[in-house]
Parts: sequence; C-alpha cells; structure tokens
Amino acid sequence: MGNFNIIGKSVEKKDSLSKVLGTAQFAADIEFENMLYGAVKRSEVPSAILKNVDVSKAKALPGVVSVLTYKDITGGNRIGIIIKDEPVLVDDNIRRIGDALAIVAAETKEIAEEALKLIEVEYEELEPILSIEDALKEESRKVHGKTNVLQEKHLIKGDVDEAFKECDIIVENTYKTNYVAHMFIEPEAGVAKYENGIMSVWCSTQNPHFDRGEVARTLNMPQNKVRVIQAVTGGGFGGKLDISVQCHIALLSYYTGRPVKIVTNREDSMKVSSKRHPIEMKVKTGAKKDGTILAYEAKLTSDTGAYASYGPAVVARAMTHISGPYRIPNVRIDATFVYTNNPMAGAYRGFGVPQAAIAHEGQMDALAEKIGMSPIEIRLKNALRVGDCTPTNQKLNDSIGIVETIEKAVEKSKEVIFNEGEVK
Amino acid sequence: MKKKGTGIGCMWYGIGNTGLPNPAAAFVEVHSDGSVTALVGCADIGQGSSTVMAQIVAETLGVKYEAVNVTAADTGVTPEGGATSASRQTYISGNACCEAAKVAKKILVEVAADAFGVEQDEVEIKNNNVFVKNDESKQMDFLTLMGELKKRGKIALGSGSFNPDTTSLDPVDMHGNPYACYAFATHIVEVEVDTDTGQVDVLKIVAAHDVGQAINAQMVEAQIEGGCAMGIGFAVLEELELEKGAIKNPGFSKYLINTAMDMPEIYPIIVEDPTSTGPFGAKGVGEPALIPVAPAILNAIYDAIGVRFTEVPVTPRKIIEALSEKQN
Repeated sequence: MGNFNIIGKSVEKKDSLSKVLGTAQFAADIEFENMLYGAVKRSEVPSAILKNVDVSKAKALPGVVSVLTYKDITGGNRIGIIIKDEPVLVDDNIRRIGDALAIVAAETKEIAEEALKLIEVEYEELEPILSIEDALKEESRKVHGKTNVLQEKHLIKGDVDEAFKECDIIVENTYKTNYVAHMFIEPEAGVAKYENGIMSVWCSTQNPHFDRGEVARTLNMPQNKVRVIQAVTGGGFGGKLDISVQCHIALLSYYTGRPVKIVTNREDSMKVSSKRHPIEMKVKTGAKKDGTILAYEAKLTSDTGAYASYGPAVVARAMTHISGPYRIPNVRIDATFVYTNNPMAGAYRGFGVPQAAIAHEGQMDALAEKIGMSPIEIRLKNALRVGDCTPTNQKLNDSIGIVETIEKAVEKSKEVIFNEGEVK
Repeated sequence: MKKKGTGIGCMWYGIGNTGLPNPAAAFVEVHSDGSVTALVGCADIGQGSSTVMAQIVAETLGVKYEAVNVTAADTGVTPEGGATSASRQTYISGNACCEAAKVAKKILVEVAADAFGVEQDEVEIKNNNVFVKNDESKQMDFLTLMGELKKRGKIALGSGSFNPDTTSLDPVDMHGNPYACYAFATHIVEVEVDTDTGQVDVLKIVAAHDVGQAINAQMVEAQIEGGCAMGIGFAVLEELELEKGAIKNPGFSKYLINTAMDMPEIYPIIVEDPTSTGPFGAKGVGEPALIPVAPAILNAIYDAIGVRFTEVPVTPRKIIEALSEKQN
C-alpha cells in the first residue's frame, strides 16, 4: 500500500458532530417565513381512465391557497430517470395505486390534508394487469405504448448448448425473490421557494442534478434558473433517485409565489417509492467432474411495475452479474422485464445483483454437493483471476481480489466460526 | 431443536453505470489562509462521501484533512456529480476531486519552485509543509507559500472531471466493457435454526471486501455492517405483502426490518487490491456490502437443516413447512 498521510485513516466524518448534536438540517427541518404546506391526492385504484378531477370544493376551503392538476403544468408532464414515462400529475390513465392526481398548498398541514378529501376524482376503473403472464398476453391492455415489455435482452458468450453436452454434472434450479422496501429512516421531503425568477428546491435526494433537470422541464424553465440543493439526507439506498416531492413543491411555489413544503408520510412513502424488483431466475450450471464450470444459462423474468424508473439498469446489471465472480467460457442469459399495474420497482442497493447472487451462489453450493467438493474449494477453483474474461468478454486487467477475499474470510472463520479442524 | 450451520456467499460488482457514460466533476480552490474549498456534485446521503472527497483532496494537495471543507450537491454552486448510486461516488467523484486538486496543486508547485529558485519536480508539498527534496535548507510553511501566490497574483484553483472507461454493450450479444473496475467480496455466516419455531438467527458474519483501497477504514467497516443488516432482512425477515396492486403492510409495524438489537457479531475484513484507475486505487463498497449476505445465509440454512431454499424471504412459516414436507 502507498505511504499515505490521510488516505485509509479513519478521520472524523464531516457530518458526525451535526448529527450527534441534532443540528443537521433535514428537509423537514427547513422553515421559511410565509411558508405553505403541500399535500398530494393519490389514486386508490391500480388501473383506470381518469375522467375528471374537480377541485372546486377543495379550493373553497378556508386556508387553501392553491390546488393544481395536470392542466396547470406549464412544461412537460413526463418524468423518469431512464425513460420519461411517469406523469407529474396524471393526465390520461391511472397506472398504479399511489399515482399523483392533484396537489394542494395550504396555510397548515392539517388544512392541506383536509382539502385532499374534498377533491372529487371521476374515473373509469379498468381490469388491472397484475402478473407477468397477463402482461405478456397478446390481447392484454398495454400499460404504456404498444407493448408491456420494458426490455427483452440476451447475453451470449460461447455456445452453452454444445458445452452442456460436455458437462459431467448439471444443476438446475429456479430462484425467486420478493419486493423489498428501502425503509430509509427519513421519508421524502422538500421545500421549494420561487424568488427573483429562480426556483430553489431543498430536498432529500440522491441526485440533485437529475432533479434540477426534471423540475426545469416540468416548469419549462432553463436549468440555470432552477437550483436544487440536497438537504441533509437520512438514507436513500436507491429509493431517493426517483423524483418524489421535487416537481410538486416547485409547481405549488411557482403558482403561489410562497415557499411550499411537503413531508411525505411513511405510508405514502412506502406505496410510491420504488421497490427492489422481484425476479424469477431459472438457472442451469454445468461442470466437469473436477469442478471446472463450463456452462451457465439463466432466464430472468421480472415485474417492473407501472413505471420504468431504473428498471433498464436493473436488467443490464442483473444479466452481466448473474454468472457470479467466476471464469465461465459459455454463458447465455435471457431477460424479460414487463410493465404491470403493480408498484414501481427500481433501484435498491445492488440493481438486481442481490437477486442474481442468490442464484449464482445457490448454484455453486448445489454443484459442489453433487460433485463432492467443498463449497470453498469449488469457488477457489473457478474464481476470476487477472487475465480472465467476463461473460461480456471484457478482459480483466487488474484489481481482481475475489480469491483473496475467500482466503481472508476462511482464515477469519477458522478463528471465529468453524470448529477446530473443520472447514466447510 | 436448535441446529447450527455455516454458509458462504461470494459476489462481484461493477462500479458505476452499466456500459454508459456517467461522469462527475469537482472544483477545488486553496484560499489565502491555507484553507481549501471543494465544490463537489456528489450527494452525501449519510454514507460519508463528503468525508471521502475531503480526504482525497487533502492527500492530493498535501494539506491537513481539517483544512478542507466540502460543499456538496448544490446545483447552484457545484458541478454535475451524477447519482449517488451504483457504488460509484468514491471511484468517480473521488477521481474528479483528485484531478481538480492536482490542477490546483500545479499552481502551488509552480510558485514554490519559483520562490525557491528550483525546478518544479524538486518541490514537494506534504502535511502542510512545502520543501525541496534533498535540500533541507529550503522549506516554507503553507501560509508563506500562499503569501508568495498573492505577491504573484496567482489563484490556486482547479477543476476536474472523470468518466469511467467503459464501452456500450453490443445490442445482439451484450459484449463490451460495461464497467471500468469491479469490487469483490466473500461472506461466511453462521446461523442457528430453531426447528420448532422456524426462527433463523444469524449468529456471526465474516465479511471480506476487496475495495481496492480504503479511503476511510472505519467508514468501509460501517458500510459492511449496514449491508449485513439489510442482507439479513432480505434473506429471512422483510416480507412485502402485495394484493391486487396494493401494498398491505406500508409501515414499520407490519413491514419488519432489523434493529440494532437483532444484529449478529460482524467481522469486517478490508482487502485492498488496488485498481490502477481509482483514486489512490479505490473502488467502491456501498452495494457490495449487502450482496453476499442473503446467499451465504441460504447456504448456511441448508447446512443446518438440509433444506435448500431458492426463494426469499425464508420466513419461519416457510422453514416449518419445508421441515414437515421433508419428514413426510
């Protein structure tokens, strides 16, 4: 290792004192004079044609300053990290429970919540698409555009069919994961303030520069007139990459000329924020008797929910990682991710790799058992080393520490986990 | 009956976005009193990126860590940082900070060389001292150097940006270089399964992570420990109930996550196999921390009770069902 003064040292974190003393300003702590409180009217059905949103009674409630629907959006009404498919406020179809239909700004949080109850939503409910099977039927209604397939992709290296013929041992399993919620301690929150032609937005976020672009397009303002400032953020884990309150508070502040704050409650946060993709993975691994893996095949299907969010990134990453940190000459991965009217799935700490690892590591142990090798031995035998190629045929030139992590973990486990003489 | 078992899980993780450009940038300025401002797009969401950026800038400039203040994630003053995701900020924004600090340092070195009357490559700045290599008689403190800059009308300012060296993936077979570097990890866990209640207790986790180079060892360990907490939840606890498109348990009372009380003993091990393209060799650890946990637990459950689960979460109900199925 290099001879460093500061690198590698456990110096005091820059934010530790403010967090311990409680002086850190999270978005919910930010207060301005004359500030209004916002709230969001959300859909309670997963699929419907929106006919009308009547806000007249809500507007008439004393203390309500503004109620907005899609008709009030001055710029574009589609947002999204990779594909712009999510409305800021629904203008045609409701595609999931929790879709935003109208927004309110009022003198107090209580009045804003009360006003939500007075908003009358007229819609024609549709039979929701709630499974991958239904989504893929030719006659199925399309959640967006002309197909329910978000992405169908293939990764091909070598010839798996030929390679499986040469294998002594083949292991096949189907792995499944469920939705998982981020449960960051701090729910989504933000304050917007429109002053001297500049829209400033303080918010809990993982990507203020992305937020700036989305707010600018929603308001039809240039990016240099929108300033997004990340407030101290209480965790994200991928769940604060999508737009949450940013566009709504900016719209309300733009119309009222007053600062507007929205603090999402836990229930809305959990319903609306993205979830870890549930993925079904059908996997086949083939090896020689000595444990050398020759072929790996996987078929992935997943429900990405109502909006794409980071779905395409999850597809690509799950595919490039699902064979694990091993040298495998023949690989074929097929993936199909579809839109449904289920909750939106997106980025969650690992972008599909936590799911993929369950498959590749389950396969390694199953293979080891069938061959009669130890799980550690079979991993060491197949682990990537400098000079090896990945399934995308990328040659690895340096910094391939998998073998060292196995050796160090085994060494420590001999001390704290394994019984004497036992190495599993 | 309580049955113990052990299991292993390995992982790899490409740092940064998959086969796409994903740059980040930074500005660094050294002020007349020797303090330093770094303007960095990268959002610190509690994981400590601003601390990491300050360490990288301080090491590169040769000043003390305390001298560096980081203003982060404010589009009014900081350049583009991209998302705090894909375990990319230490590697990408870290490289941007390193580049920006090098540009600012070049100005410091030029002035120091001029003041000493030596060549630039003879000047060294380390730990707030400015000196000439192999000539102890020629040195000055940092404040004196900043005075020399003032005299010459120079400002020590630098900008830097970094985009990982990747290629787009072929649309037919997905061949290409999706990531500039990969992190690796191995976890070995010990579990105890209660065959009467179906409860799985994770007792110990040994977690070895190749991070290239730890910028802040304690923060790397904290990431590993946090990842373990989430990984255990993913494997045996967290169960989102969905019915006709509706999440039926949208709150902490019904959607359970681990608390500090539930945590096992965790033994983080930092492995440093540096990457030639990282800031001081660093890669990333944010997501890798979580990934090996669940598969290692599933393999340990198999070792304990002889049932190979292929679905998560493995709740007590599923354990009991599987055990009774096995008996019949």
